[in-house]
Amino acid sequence: MTNEESELLYTNPYWRILIYGALIFAALLFLLPLYVMFTTSFKTLSEIRLGNMLSLPQAFTIQPWIDAWGEACIGLTCKGISGYFKNSILMVVPAVAISTILGAFNGYILTKWTFPGHKLVFGLMLFGCFIPFQVVLIPSALILGKMGIANSVFGLIFIHVTYGIGFTTLFFRNYYYVFPTELIKAAMIDGAGFFRIFFRILLPSSGPIIVVTVIWQFTNIWNDFLFGVSFTSGAQVPITVALNNLANSSTGVKEYNVHMAAAILAAAPTLIVYILAGKYFVRGLMAGSIKG
Amino acid sequence: MSFLEVKNLVKTFGSTEVLKGINLNLAEGKFLVLVGPSGCGKSTLLNLIAGLNNITAGEILINDKVVNNIHPGKRNIAMVFQSYALYPNMTVGKNISFGLEIRKVSKEQVQVKTLEVAKMLQIDHLLDRKPAQLSGGQRQRVAMGRALVRDPDLFLFDEPLSNLDAKLRVDMRTEIKKLHQTLKATIVYVTHDQIEALTLADYVAVMYGGEIQQFGSPHDIYNQPDNLFVANFMGSPSMNFIDGTIQKDANNLIIVIKENGRTIQLPITLPNTAIGNYVDKKVILGLRPEGINLFRDDSDDEKMGVDCKIEVIEPTGADTYAVLSFNNEEILARMRPERAIDLKETEKFTFNMNKAVFFDPETEQRIG
Repeated sequence: MTNEESELLYTNPYWRILIYGALIFAALLFLLPLYVMFTTSFKTLSEIRLGNMLSLPQAFTIQPWIDAWGEACIGLTCKGISGYFKNSILMVVPAVAISTILGAFNGYILTKWTFPGHKLVFGLMLFGCFIPFQVVLIPSALILGKMGIANSVFGLIFIHVTYGIGFTTLFFRNYYYVFPTELIKAAMIDGAGFFRIFFRILLPSSGPIIVVTVIWQFTNIWNDFLFGVSFTSGAQVPITVALNNLANSSTGVKEYNVHMAAAILAAAPTLIVYILAGKYFVRGLMAGSIKG
Repeated sequence: MSFLEVKNLVKTFGSTEVLKGINLNLAEGKFLVLVGPSGCGKSTLLNLIAGLNNITAGEILINDKVVNNIHPGKRNIAMVFQSYALYPNMTVGKNISFGLEIRKVSKEQVQVKTLEVAKMLQIDHLLDRKPAQLSGGQRQRVAMGRALVRDPDLFLFDEPLSNLDAKLRVDMRTEIKKLHQTLKATIVYVTHDQIEALTLADYVAVMYGGEIQQFGSPHDIYNQPDNLFVANFMGSPSMNFIDGTIQKDANNLIIVIKENGRTIQLPITLPNTAIGNYVDKKVILGLRPEGINLFRDDSDDEKMGVDCKIEVIEPTGADTYAVLSFNNEEILARMRPERAIDLKETEKFTFNMNKAVFFDPETEQRIG
């Protein structure tokens, strides 16, 4: 940093203290629920009943986590959330992969192999991004029923892929829009065809936008509740719906410590994805926005 | 026998006609430069020859085979782009060998050929680097290497030097010419730089408004421009144009120029029968700056001498140019730097009519 820059950034130390103080206070306030979730999940039920929400666990226990994963009752089955966690994984991995690949192909075609009317097609896809979920629920249910994949992970994958294509296409289209067309021409003259150009030239240069798309799709699909609750039931529901069912199970006492542990487990994958790839996420978004 | 043949080629984008019936013939091993201002259709023509755009009408033949509907990868051509278009994710070596790989050349063969080309272009020490780590000149060489390695029938160059700085551009220009001489390759080269066109080409096609204005050797293009556009576009500084009237003086033809109240008469020295039809008609006299020099008392013909007012002197090192005021317009004269000392406000200049060309002011075509 040059002298001039540091001068510009200079502020009165008292102001600094005030600013940082306010920021730290706000950060703590926002972290408070997470803190309560964590501490509660390690407490025994009797300790929770004492009502000291903010206190640290006196008798530290990991039993609530074990229960939440494998023994808590949801509806009539008492096998914890592990099965539903698996449902979500089985749903989210293919759904993210398929929608990302299709988005990449769409972006490639809409920018480098344009055809008459390609702008209209892209416009309609964008339109698809902004249709509210509720509007498509009944038609989707009908179609899933006709296809024979209602109440199954395949049905959810199909719905999420369909709904995601609009966004993934938008991401890749904007990224490829600024990708030099001369490179495509050079590869054509080198003798490469449609797929080879895509896999050898375009895709290896698409790292940042793939990360953005994967995080975006993963978070949205994993966190989805509406499609899950509408199109699946019983043992087929994804983790978000299972969590709701767990917390709403009316039999016996409310095991808050188990609920908290389950909630953290349900939120963990998106958190992990964001922590691991968040750096690229911001970078990728910037790359798209500035150049596009 | 022509190696590349373009017949009545038309290209339209929507309702705009970008190429309006292009005809070209190029023999094997010859260097053709397409030159013209931006928007003249030269790059479009090159893209059509490469097969990167569809032809609206007409035919393109390479080696006597119509290639209209053949994929660019199967035309056995290579192209060097203005932006170099190196694949950013591949090393220099991979960039060069990508085309060979696709054509299923054996691994050993690919290696031998890549190294051979890299050595020829002096980039063999860079083979493991990525394009982002190279300088502009090095990228340029890699782009050429990618074209050379495939040993194609036809090389296409799309303004390959315009992204380089001035000095490097001149060096690479010489190198491309040397390469052409050793390889005897057939080349079509697009540029907007008329000096590049004149130095490199066996044939120059000057394009403007989607048409070829003139096709010929650099010498013909420079000395016998077919029309006012070519005369004006080719050559730097450009040609002087002076209005005048042809008249008959005894048995000789002269051109009469009215300038600021005086009348200048210059003899027409070149044998030109067509100009005989223009007696008493207006013409445009075209004379390049090197055709207007400071008058020498001892050797110059008195008839060619004209007094001119000097506006500005512009030394360029090798030559010095004088901007002369003539008919309220500026014309340029060239002289040797050592003679451009102690010039008076008005000097006598000689108009070398052996280098003159004449144009019809209405059709803008050269007379004769």
